[in-house]
Formats: sequence, C-alpha cells, structure tokens
Amino acid sequence: MYYKFSGFTQRLTGAASSTASPQGLRSNIPSESPTIVFGTPTKVVSQSSPAVEYMGVNKVPDLQRIFQASDEVPIHLKRVVPDRLLYRTTMALTVGGALYCLVALYIAAQPKNK
Amino acid sequence: MAHQAHAYHMVDPSPWPLTGAVGALLMTSGLAIWFHFHSTTLLTLGLILLLLTMYQWWRDIIREGTFQGHHTPPVQKGLRYGMILFITSEVFFFLGFFWAFYHSSLAPTPELGGCWPPTGITPLDPFEVPLLNTAVLLASGVTVTWAHHSIMEGERKQAIQSLALTIILGLYFTALQAMEYYEAPFTIADGVYGSTFFVATGFHGLHVIIGSSFLAVCLLRQIQYHFTSEHHFGFEAAAWYWHFVDVVWLFLYVSIYWWGS
Repeated sequence: MYYKFSGFTQRLTGAASSTASPQGLRSNIPSESPTIVFGTPTKVVSQSSPAVEYMGVNKVPDLQRIFQASDEVPIHLKRVVPDRLLYRTTMALTVGGALYCLVALYIAAQPKNK
Repeated sequence: MAHQAHAYHMVDPSPWPLTGAVGALLMTSGLAIWFHFHSTTLLTLGLILLLLTMYQWWRDIIREGTFQGHHTPPVQKGLRYGMILFITSEVFFFLGFFWAFYHSSLAPTPELGGCWPPTGITPLDPFEVPLLNTAVLLASGVTVTWAHHSIMEGERKQAIQSLALTIILGLYFTALQAMEYYEAPFTIADGVYGSTFFVATGFHGLHVIIGSSFLAVCLLRQIQYHFTSEHHFGFEAAAWYWHFVDVVWLFLYVSIYWWGS
C-alpha cells in the first residue's frame, strides 16, 4: 500500500496499485535483472531475418545489471575507473578554478597605479 | 531498505550542481577578465568545466532512467513538465528580441531615415538562401516526426536513418546560415538593423546547434538500444525542442527577413 499525491485535491491518497512504486526501490529485487520494458526492443531480434544485428548488439541488459548492483555506490561513480578519473579531474578544475577566480578578481579589484 | 511514501525519484547525492555553478562563476568572471585584461584562461576553464558538468550530469540521468529504471510514469510526467516549462522560458527569451525588432521597425526614427530597412541598408533577398533555410528546417520537422513514428513502431533501421537525416538537415541549415553571415552586406555594427538582425538570428542559430547536438545524442542512444517503443522520452524532448527551433525560425523569416525587407 503506497501513498499517491493527488494533484487535484493536493492531498495524499492511498494507492494499492503497483504502478506507483518505482523500479529499483523494491527490497525484493533479485540479483539478476527482471524483464524490464527498457531492455528489449519491441521486435524480438530472433524474429527478424538478418543474422547480424543492425549497427551493433544490444548491451543494455548487461549495463542494467552493472548499474543495479546494490553496492551503495552513487550513480556518478558506479563504473569506478572511468567515473573516478572524470570526477577527480572535474573536481580539481572546480576547486582550482574557484581559487584562481578569487585571486584574479582580487587582483582586478586593485586600483591602477598612476 | 526503507520504502518511500511517494512516487518521485530521490537521486543519489551528486557533485554536478556544484561544478556547474562554479563553471558559471568562472565563465562570467572570465568574460570580465577577458574584456579588461585580455586573458582568456579563466573563460576557457569555465567552458571546460561546463562541458564536463553537462556530460556527466546527463550521463547520470541516462544511467538512472535507462539502466536503473527510475523513470516510472509519474517521474516521466515530471520530466515532461520540466521540458515544457524550459521551452516556454526560451519562448519568452526570443519574445524579447522580437519586441526589440518591432519596437525599432514599426516606428523608424529620423536618424534611420524614417524608413525600414534604414537608409543605406541592403537587406538579404528573402526568396534566396533564407527561403532555402525555411525549406530545410520544415523538411527536418518532417524527418524528426518520421523518426518518432519509426521508434514507436519498433523500426530500428528507419529510426536511425530518419534521425540521421534530421541531424544532417540541421547541419546544412547551420552551414548555409554561416555562409550568409559571411556574405552579408551589413554587420552587427550597422545600427539597430544590424543589432536586431544578428542578435535574433544569432541566438536562433545557437539554438539550432544545441538542438542538433541533442538529436545527435538521441541518435547514439537509439543505436545503443536505449529507446523502446513505449519509452523514449529523451527523444521526445529533443523533438519538442527541434519543433520549437523550427517555429522560431518561421517567425524570424516572416518578421525580419520578409516583412523587414
């Protein structure tokens, strides 16, 4: 039983239907990913004639498994090596840039010597 | 794990709002430093930070939606509201420039010669490249709709081809417009005519580039099987934005290029 916010009455109302529960937040998620709508295209590939898929193979189910691993890692670091590198570079530029900016503005604020 | 008593998606703590804000600080103060001290270091740093923030923030949203399944119908509704409100804000942005144009062109001052186009200005022929540009954008509106229907019907190859065609048309528009800018007999410094022309069409061109980039990301995602026939909001948002860009051009063409000549 979950609460649903009624935009009309501006109140929480009961909603017994499961459509209100977001995926990924149920505690009974199995370790393998269930058949999610997002994973497979509507036309099953085995039904279409070409032996090789058009422009690459579907890697979404594998990625879903990786990103749904319950390891408490936030989304922006879930892929460890590339994510951490990019995050650290960005943070370094952020902190360094902010300090450089303050210094530049301090210098710019000095009166010109005649 | 505790259940939440609402349907909204509570995202993981993220550093990107902070990095984006610092990027904005660096770009604005960088602009000031460039103007007064001729150094572009701060500005460049800000731009790099902005690009890094955009890449990682939107990458995380794709992970949350496509890979973790957090974009349920109630969440998607919120995303739709968000995109519509953003596009509405952009409409008001352009409204300002159209206001400026009509303010100056409906009652031309004596300094301009009391006429519009002002004395000495040779406007572009609206029935040459500008008309071609109109046809290009209208055609791209058709191809993006074709792409949408292809996605909804599960036609992978057609979706990829029509989306690619849309992007090519967008790039063609940008190339034609760049050539027009180079060849134009007037510049942004040519009084209020130059100002209103280049600022309005210039911001529009920037939005065409943004829209083309958004569609390009959608093309990459479509190739990588992110979209399903029922759920492809990223593409829909890009298509809405593209139609908005198209409509702004139509207003620009009729007002500035056609009536304004």
